[in-house]
Amino acid sequence: MTNLSLYRNRIWLLALIWLSITSQLIGQPTNVITGQVSDELGQPLPGVTVLVKNTTSADRSNGTTTDAKGAYRLSVPSGNESLVVSYVGYLSQEIEISRRSVINVQLVPDNKSLNEVVVVGYGTQQKKDLTGAVASVSAKDIQRLPVSGLDQALQGQVPGLQISSTSGAPGGNTNILVRGIGSVSGGNEPLFVVDGFPINNSGVGNPLNTINPGDIESIEILKDASATAIYGSRGSNGVVIVSTKRGKSGKAQITVDAYVGIQEPARLLKMMNSRQFAEFVIEGHNNGWLDNGGPNAKITDPNSVRSASYRIPEEWQNLNSLPNIDTDWQKVIFRTAPIQNYQISAVGGNDKLRYSMSGGYFNQKGILISSGFERYSARINLDGQLTPRLKVSMNLAPTYTSTDNVPSTGHYGDFNVVASALSMPPLIPVYNADGTYGNTNALTNVGMGAIPNPVQIANEYKSTNAQFRLLSNLFAEYEIINGLKLKVSVGTDFNYYTTNTFKPSTLSSSASVSPATSNIVNTSDVNWLNENTLNYRRTFGAHSLDALGGFTIQKSTTAATTTNATNFADDLLENINGGQITGGSYVVGQWSLMSYLGRVNYAYNDRYLVTATIRSDGSSRFGSANRWGTFPSFSVGWRLSEEPFLKGLNLFDDFKIRAGYGLSGNNSIGNYRYLGLLSASNYVLGNTQVPGLSQASFTNNNLGWETSKQYDIGLDLAFFNGRLQFTGDYYNRRNTDMLLNKAIPSVTGYTSAWVNIGELENKGVELALSGKPLATRDFNWTSSFNITFNRNKVLRLGTDGEQLFSDGGRGDVSITQVGQPIGSFYGHQVEGIFTTQEQLSSHATQTGAKLGDFMYKDIDGNRVINDADRTILGNPQARAFYGFNNTFTYKNWSLNILMNGVQGKDVFWAGAVFVRGYHGVQNNLAEVINNYYKSPSQPGDGNSPRIIRGALNNNLRYSSFFNFDGSYLRIRNVTLNYNLSQNLAKRIGMQGGRIYLTTNNLYTFTKYPGYDPEISNSGDNMLASGIDYLGYPPARSYTLGLSLTF
Amino acid sequence: MKAKHLFITLVSLFSLASCNDQFLSLTPETDRNTVNFYKTAADFNNAVVGTYNALKLSGVYGTSLYWMGEVSTDNTDYGVTTRQAVNVDNFQFVDHTYTSLNDIIYAAWRDHYRGISRANAILTRIEGATIADNLKNQYKGEAQFLRALFYFDLVRLFGDVPLVTTEITTPDGASSLTRTPVEEVYKLIISDLQSAEQTLPVTYGTADVGRVPQGAAKALLGKVYLTRKDWATAAAKLNEVITSARYQLLPKYADVFGFASPTNAEILFNVQYKSGNTGQGSGFGPVQASEGARITGGSMRYPTADMDAAYETGDLRKSFSMKPSYTDATGQFVNQRYVSKYVQFGALASDSDIDFPVLRYADVLLMYAEALNEVSFNPEAVTSLNQVRKRAGLADTKASDQASFRLAIEQERRVEFAFENQRWFDLVRTGRYAAVMNAKGLKVQDFHNLYLIPQREIDLNKSLSQNPGY
Repeated sequence: MTNLSLYRNRIWLLALIWLSITSQLIGQPTNVITGQVSDELGQPLPGVTVLVKNTTSADRSNGTTTDAKGAYRLSVPSGNESLVVSYVGYLSQEIEISRRSVINVQLVPDNKSLNEVVVVGYGTQQKKDLTGAVASVSAKDIQRLPVSGLDQALQGQVPGLQISSTSGAPGGNTNILVRGIGSVSGGNEPLFVVDGFPINNSGVGNPLNTINPGDIESIEILKDASATAIYGSRGSNGVVIVSTKRGKSGKAQITVDAYVGIQEPARLLKMMNSRQFAEFVIEGHNNGWLDNGGPNAKITDPNSVRSASYRIPEEWQNLNSLPNIDTDWQKVIFRTAPIQNYQISAVGGNDKLRYSMSGGYFNQKGILISSGFERYSARINLDGQLTPRLKVSMNLAPTYTSTDNVPSTGHYGDFNVVASALSMPPLIPVYNADGTYGNTNALTNVGMGAIPNPVQIANEYKSTNAQFRLLSNLFAEYEIINGLKLKVSVGTDFNYYTTNTFKPSTLSSSASVSPATSNIVNTSDVNWLNENTLNYRRTFGAHSLDALGGFTIQKSTTAATTTNATNFADDLLENINGGQITGGSYVVGQWSLMSYLGRVNYAYNDRYLVTATIRSDGSSRFGSANRWGTFPSFSVGWRLSEEPFLKGLNLFDDFKIRAGYGLSGNNSIGNYRYLGLLSASNYVLGNTQVPGLSQASFTNNNLGWETSKQYDIGLDLAFFNGRLQFTGDYYNRRNTDMLLNKAIPSVTGYTSAWVNIGELENKGVELALSGKPLATRDFNWTSSFNITFNRNKVLRLGTDGEQLFSDGGRGDVSITQVGQPIGSFYGHQVEGIFTTQEQLSSHATQTGAKLGDFMYKDIDGNRVINDADRTILGNPQARAFYGFNNTFTYKNWSLNILMNGVQGKDVFWAGAVFVRGYHGVQNNLAEVINNYYKSPSQPGDGNSPRIIRGALNNNLRYSSFFNFDGSYLRIRNVTLNYNLSQNLAKRIGMQGGRIYLTTNNLYTFTKYPGYDPEISNSGDNMLASGIDYLGYPPARSYTLGLSLTF
Repeated sequence: MKAKHLFITLVSLFSLASCNDQFLSLTPETDRNTVNFYKTAADFNNAVVGTYNALKLSGVYGTSLYWMGEVSTDNTDYGVTTRQAVNVDNFQFVDHTYTSLNDIIYAAWRDHYRGISRANAILTRIEGATIADNLKNQYKGEAQFLRALFYFDLVRLFGDVPLVTTEITTPDGASSLTRTPVEEVYKLIISDLQSAEQTLPVTYGTADVGRVPQGAAKALLGKVYLTRKDWATAAAKLNEVITSARYQLLPKYADVFGFASPTNAEILFNVQYKSGNTGQGSGFGPVQASEGARITGGSMRYPTADMDAAYETGDLRKSFSMKPSYTDATGQFVNQRYVSKYVQFGALASDSDIDFPVLRYADVLLMYAEALNEVSFNPEAVTSLNQVRKRAGLADTKASDQASFRLAIEQERRVEFAFENQRWFDLVRTGRYAAVMNAKGLKVQDFHNLYLIPQREIDLNKSLSQNPGY
């Protein structure tokens, strides 16, 4: 036995002696102290232990627990100076009595406590026992943010979890990556598990909007293979486990939550005014005519001599007599839009039956006119203890969402409202004098482009989504013998969604009238699941064991019907019924999954932890020769803090080293991918076309999942009674067997086949630090910071030339090639602007280049600039991303500030080809008119080219000029919260309440000149990420909220 | 172990009927796939039609064979003079400076093998299928004929080629196949045709006109023997076609290519086209509104001056096959020869009804004459040749010995089969490609008797070697 443990025994002895002394002191005068204990929201906490200091729980006479109203009454022998108030999940408080007879106490939750229970796949674990990389986010961290979905709320809060918006539209989509991009051709999104049900993340818009963030109790993110292998062939992109609120025994608590607010564009671009624009047009068209108009072209040539592209509208030619029109198109399409959210929920029950119910309504209008998102949601979670050994639960959550979309991606010719507003000349009025929409139709013959009126698009183009989802789940859990539980669950996810689009005849990108078109897509997605698990938990002396075995089956059927129509008689009916049906399709996709799973958690002496998991998945998506995949993982943990040599230092609350390795899979390879499909190969026989069929793709019975082999080494530290906590992880995630369309010899009859061949690597470091720098009675400061560094590299592709190009809306601007990160930017490197004739003659031959044009780098050194001189220009993937969260609490007030940021990512601003294109056609940023190269004596800012339409040098080709540093730091959320004092609450008949003021997306520090460096046009396509093509910009919002508990 | 028993009970309880492979074997409900295909007679019929479809692919009669069989010779020119990055491949046929990156040559390799794979799938699976014998035999014969036709093209264009005779079922199934010697490839071609000759119907009903008949198998077999210099066997096989009396020369040359009647007594086998904007139309021949009035599109390949001069005076075939000039859509006279053989007035671009001949009776007669003459110069050969000349309005041949008769055949084939993708194959067969071209100033060498193997294929299969000279 060591000295340390001897020392520990002595303390116990002393305590016992001291106790026996104090018990002899009974009979001395006592004081009666009363009071109420409430939680952080001011709501009464029943069952809280209140002890006179130094009383042990064995001696209950000097302690009590609070009643249903949170009240207590305690007799305290005089001489005792303080009370200890404690409750599971809350920080214990020691309170000096100071001769008071009424002591009210407000407890603060101990969110990061080591005993915190963490939901892992198919069970729960105490945080201290975790050996894998699992991050946990609590309800309050999610619900503070006035956003439509949990994904937006999670941004910046979890190391290793990167969330970026692809659109700022209400209910807009996000990209969610856990530890980097894990696949080239397959899916990259983590698996979402809602109350045990792995859902299809399908739907219209952002499917996560069908989950009301207000219903969420906690979210766990499983990151490494040790944690995700239990989800087998679906675990490689990480797992996000969402748990909703469950009932608690006690008096019914009815809570009303509401917030209302306004939103505005977080940033507007400074565009040219009418006069600047006219100067811009004249300069660009004159230069264009000089270069393209033949040897005799002069800038004094009138329109009649010039070809159409280089004409200048007559009324714009004299800067001093321009039409009195100066439209700020951004002002017209953007608005201050309301956002509101209401939720009423009830929680309560007794030891036999507990319930949690809620109904919610969320309505967010978009900052772009005509856009908006609405959600109606309800949830009932019931838990019943039928017999001491049998427990049943039911969850039922219907949701209806509807979205009004305004086109906001791509070219203005595709009716992108944002692109057309930024491109539209300020000299065009929104409405003509006769009330019709101002347009550019008359200008197309005088050198201007045809740009649809953005207000007209927003008003007349219809695109609506509606989604109904019913997620339901039924569980029964039977304790066969002590510690051995059998759990059976049956769940269904009914998900129906519809998209309706209508383009009226009045909308056309180039003409005044074009035929109306409409289409409707109806999709039903039915997904059912049966899970059967057996769990055995037992502690034998120093050994504790938690074993799990299970069998699950799941099947999903998605059927989509599309109907198209045209030839509309008029624009009155804004759907297919107004026209003639021209075609349609019906597509059914199914998958089924059957799995066996097992896990053993073993701990010895609370110090040595071992976890082993295995899952075997049979999937309809895999080829018949490769139908079952097995995914094992193994991890160990060592809690050094429990070792006597560290424990005695009293320094660490926790000191744990973790290490794990395992396999997980990605089955997002599409349904039926392995199967050879037949395509129509008709021929003519008897002078008539007859149907024929031929195999269009290879049957590959070996086609299977993508494998992720990941190891993780982690360190968990906690000091000073949990006031400072640190978690760090190093991971290496190597994805092999990646699905790729491999080039094969055409002797096979095919030129490519889907095979598991590619390899990819993500490695990185995650660090999270949290603590309470200040903790006094009245003032508390809690702070947390997390940062992730990830490096992504393609190791093998198997495609033609071992590379893949992706179209980023401006040609092949993204390249995925071996040795580089996925989707690197690929184009010409601008070395500068030609400002002297010497530069022009000494530089490599660059056809058409003149003074003021871009000088491109001669990458291959052959003295000629052509396509072969393209090179890697940047990486759209962040080198690091981080979050920083601070809460300051003073008495009833608290202030929370959440920041997040991204460092070292490049953005290709595709929109800059229009709005910073120096072409004299579409409107440009105001800076262009100050910066451009005019002549050798007026070279502008030295970095900007001349203004020219139709530059023979093709200044608009994709080059580094259009690439920008997309790093940013964002003040994402600031919330000022006031908790109603107990007295006030009681006086107005409530258990508690709070009122808060929130601003979301307050400010972004960035050098990026566009709306926002985060918005990416390419959505989920990771091969072409980081491209900003004038998408829907993010809003800044201010909301006022109220939460009252009755 | 109690837990284990429980677990097993559990598994069997909840998996019940679903716990088998059926639960995991899902096939697309809305996409045709191979799982339930190749079972019924209708399936095989669809697959056979799909194999005929391969004839129209760009690498077969669609585009490549015209470039490789015509433009590479003295018959036609590219017709474009501006050299650009986009027409590098086309100019290689004019310059005879082929590179292994030539997409037209790659397409020929790729699409012939695509056709072969379709035929192989049928031949691999039809034996085990329970369908009526007569249909089984017919489908088998059609697949064998088409496979033989594709291989015959391949072996003549590329020499030794990987020989695949069964369906390849794994993506790497051809990744290390070596080039099979020409002899072996011909063995398969001959056995396929011999088998097809036994099982193919002599004729088809109206609805099936366009399918390959027995006579075509015999004629192709004759051509194979001729190419193999197996003169007597070739002559005998071709004579079977002649004595069957099923085929004849049409009185008018132009009628052979008429679009009103897609097949006629002279056609043994052709590629069937049909207008109607369904993708079944022919892309040969420029779009014309009327005689001599060319609008746009269509063939960009033009007869050479040498071709123009090749016709004897009074040859009725010339004015049908080519025209010296045309009037364009704006009414301008354009002094440019063009191929008029496949023109259909009023047809849209790439959507004409004109079928493309593969085997016709004139070919049988001239091949028969060639085969007989190679055994020894004889009157029957002369008669055969003269039949073809007579229809063209020409006097009997003046050839009087074996050597001069060879040249007479060469000349006759050139004008009779002008723009029918025969010229290159004919000259290579007789070993006169380089000699004839050099005489006309075209830089052709003997190694040009084979095209080169596409680089992509060599990159993907290291066992493939390049042809000598390239």
